[in-house]
Amino acid sequence: MTIEAPTRRRVLATAAVATAATGLSSAIAAPSASAFTLKKRRTRRSTVQPRDWRTLLLRRAAWGPNPESLADVNARGSIAGWVDWQLNPAAISDPMGAQIEALYPEMAWTIAQARAGIDQFSWDLMILTAQYQIARATWSRRQLNEVMVDFWHNHLHVAVPSDGLWDNSHDYDRTVIRKNALGKFSTMLSASAKHSSMLYYLNNESSTKYAPNENYGRELLELHTVGVDGGYTETMMFDAARLMTGWTVNGDTGIAYYDPDIHWTGPLQILGWSNANSAADGRPAVESLLLYLARHPKTAERIATRLVQRFISDDPSPGLVARLAATYLANDTDIRPVIRQLFLSREFAASYERKVKRPMEDVISTLRILGHTPLTAGTLDDRRKGIRALYWQTQDLRQAPLDWPQPNGYPDTAVAWQSADGALGRWNNHQSLAAGWWPNKAIINVPTPQSLLPTTVPTTAGALVDALANRLFNGLLRPDHRAAVLTFMGKSATSTLTANDQWLKWRLAELVALLLDSPAHTLR
Amino acid sequence: MTVECEHPHHLSRRGFLGGMAAAGAAGIAAPLISTQLAFAADPTYAGDTVVVISFRGGFDGLSAIVPAGDPAYATSRPNIKIPTNRLLSYDGTFGLHPAMAALKPYWDAGTFGAVHAVGQPDPTRSHFEAMEEMERAAPGSSLRTGWLDRALGLRGTGSVFQAAQLGWSLPSSAFNGPAPELALGRVDDFTLWAADDNDPVKAEANVARWAAALNSLMNGAPTTLVAPTESAVGAITTTMAMKRAGYTPGGGAVYDTTSDLAMSLRDIARLMKQNVGLQVAAIDYGDWDMHQNLGTVDSGWMFDKLTEVSAAFDAFAKDLGPKFADVTLVTMSEFGRRIDENGSGGVDHGHGNAMLVMGGGVNGGTVRGTWPGLAEANRDDGGDLRGDNDYRVVLAEILSKRCGQGSLSTVFPGLPSGSLGVVKTRPTS
Repeated sequence: MTIEAPTRRRVLATAAVATAATGLSSAIAAPSASAFTLKKRRTRRSTVQPRDWRTLLLRRAAWGPNPESLADVNARGSIAGWVDWQLNPAAISDPMGAQIEALYPEMAWTIAQARAGIDQFSWDLMILTAQYQIARATWSRRQLNEVMVDFWHNHLHVAVPSDGLWDNSHDYDRTVIRKNALGKFSTMLSASAKHSSMLYYLNNESSTKYAPNENYGRELLELHTVGVDGGYTETMMFDAARLMTGWTVNGDTGIAYYDPDIHWTGPLQILGWSNANSAADGRPAVESLLLYLARHPKTAERIATRLVQRFISDDPSPGLVARLAATYLANDTDIRPVIRQLFLSREFAASYERKVKRPMEDVISTLRILGHTPLTAGTLDDRRKGIRALYWQTQDLRQAPLDWPQPNGYPDTAVAWQSADGALGRWNNHQSLAAGWWPNKAIINVPTPQSLLPTTVPTTAGALVDALANRLFNGLLRPDHRAAVLTFMGKSATSTLTANDQWLKWRLAELVALLLDSPAHTLR
Repeated sequence: MTVECEHPHHLSRRGFLGGMAAAGAAGIAAPLISTQLAFAADPTYAGDTVVVISFRGGFDGLSAIVPAGDPAYATSRPNIKIPTNRLLSYDGTFGLHPAMAALKPYWDAGTFGAVHAVGQPDPTRSHFEAMEEMERAAPGSSLRTGWLDRALGLRGTGSVFQAAQLGWSLPSSAFNGPAPELALGRVDDFTLWAADDNDPVKAEANVARWAAALNSLMNGAPTTLVAPTESAVGAITTTMAMKRAGYTPGGGAVYDTTSDLAMSLRDIARLMKQNVGLQVAAIDYGDWDMHQNLGTVDSGWMFDKLTEVSAAFDAFAKDLGPKFADVTLVTMSEFGRRIDENGSGGVDHGHGNAMLVMGGGVNGGTVRGTWPGLAEANRDDGGDLRGDNDYRVVLAEILSKRCGQGSLSTVFPGLPSGSLGVVKTRPTS
């Protein structure tokens, strides 16, 4: 495993131990602070002061901080300690994750069970699969795994719902993505190529030697592996499509299988790979090509670029991409050492508030920090209603899980998501969740806004804003933002609040929503 | 198992708004709109509202504007061809797919037309690269802005409604760059819930308080947060008043409420009639990637899509009434599709394509552009219709003749010379 320079690691680890001891809101962000002094950077005042490395970590390697996950980070004491703990998800005790599994028993179904369990061509199971993503991302303690599941779903994307996926999208989620999210990319790629979901989504199911369908062959090269600048020609793309003929789906069972009668035979060349492909059974040749592509330096670069874009910056640093790509290749496409190196890099430490949350990240991080939880009583359907409502909220915000209509997955830059109705939608969603308008307490456990306050209720407006900022952002708002909130309340910092003040009672949710509208929550 | 998903997308939000904000719906206040347009439309702009519709996914122009007179057409598409005797307004070379019947009157009247064999200078069969390049529209340069952004940047500062994206998609990358655009979704959903009130005076006061706070909280934030915040708070007072006032389309127009395209056009008509200064509107209308089961002359994927498009355009034109003279609608798509059908009853990615153009100032009723033909010898890259007519020439002509846009070389660096006569010059008022 390639790792960052030891000196750097030592700095991080030492600083981490130092801050871990100081408690939730008072920690000085030593790693970030030192990283910021290492290099001259354009300075942008952070929205929350002081900067806290734990907040940074949980906004990137998790779906956002909450008191429980901050305690988990504190218990591990450092980025390395937490990441190493998270890289072995099976070893993490996860009662909430187990509760989610019990809530979605369909996710364990085989394709055959699915066909027996729902009406033919019903959307039910596809929508459940998408809702399950929200539930696990919000509540599982195996947060890094959940973040990587989302990452890979967008890399080897099949749009859910779409035609042909009614009985198999949950199986793709389980057997292709989740099974390999913290494993080898070569294994995941091979599993995806032969799964009914992918075979239908990119039309390999109907591709034959008589008239190969190019859809999968093109996206295999352009999106899944070497990328559009990977150096392949149109002929090579067509060769990939020819090679894949034979892998199809049995329409009676929904199960993928290989049909040698429709396999195109003849010599093929794709980049540096060639094969006589003379046998009717082309399966070994398919595996050979997929392994070649998974191990290709351009694939390494592409995956590293996407990881850096996801976890650090919209404009990935070429140096870091090259280091991560080298680690990927040196470890035979195992993603774990790559992720570890990424989160221990100086580029990561220096990236505080450099990313903007996309809508799904906004919704889930809002739920996490507010503390919504699924109902534990009632029928299965009763207990899933709240999550169903959350799914439609992400849909309204343009980022329902798995729903991007094109095969390249949701974009991961702030520019792509910059929109007025996106901003308005977030504000409305913050208000709705904070006040418990929808989903409401009949279908999900909604914490009261008052539960966000410390035991000793603040007695001035300034202290109230500070207490909420501490609870929501693990720090204090920068002074001009604090002043804007006080103006909104029509108060000065020293205005006294009586125990029954409207801002402590019926307007507290409004105040929480406004704070969640600020960049302190929207940046990550 | 209970039914989890019987609603069309986004019904949930509307349903929710209806329930939660019974407040907002209760008392429809007298329209306050005229008093609320604090940002007057740019008085120096006297051009058309240009509506740019992205047929994302690779529109098969050969199925819509059908070259049935080309001998290679029928033989290339044995299973998905449109029989010549079924085409509308067939001129011996081209005819319209019968699913476009709603647009035949406009074609015959000359307010709807097409340009065929349109392409990009540096074609690619990658959806994503082709879309990005088409919306950047600056091949061979390192510009990172989009063509609509550059066009808007050359105009005076307009209202917050100067450039808008409608519908349920992310904003087009043609808007990338410093000029602000308003991604609006749907006018009736463009409401700040926390500020809504059935008393319009209270609602306006609430909006003002929220707007001040939200703007101040963006101090020091990156542009990607500041710009949409300014656009949103700048528009909500107007959109909330428009929602309260309600809307009845003109000309007996009936929009399909389940069609995002139709409802987006409805909002554009509404904004145009409201005189809010709308100069450019963009809609993303995808799902054209027909590798499989494109369908037949009477049914299927293509038939349904063209039917939806035609009904939506027809309703838009009827609704606009006299304002149809002030609109130019143009469609574009990242590439056309292969001339030969594949083994799945579909067509794979190709190059040359058709653009549709509609509006009061359009020279329609015919197919414009040079036609390279479908013969084997004239095919591009082994099987594609050639893109002999540069799409930028079409857009530049619209900007020039209908919008009075100068500096076309800034909008489209390296723009080839020439004009296809797609639109008439807009009379100066």
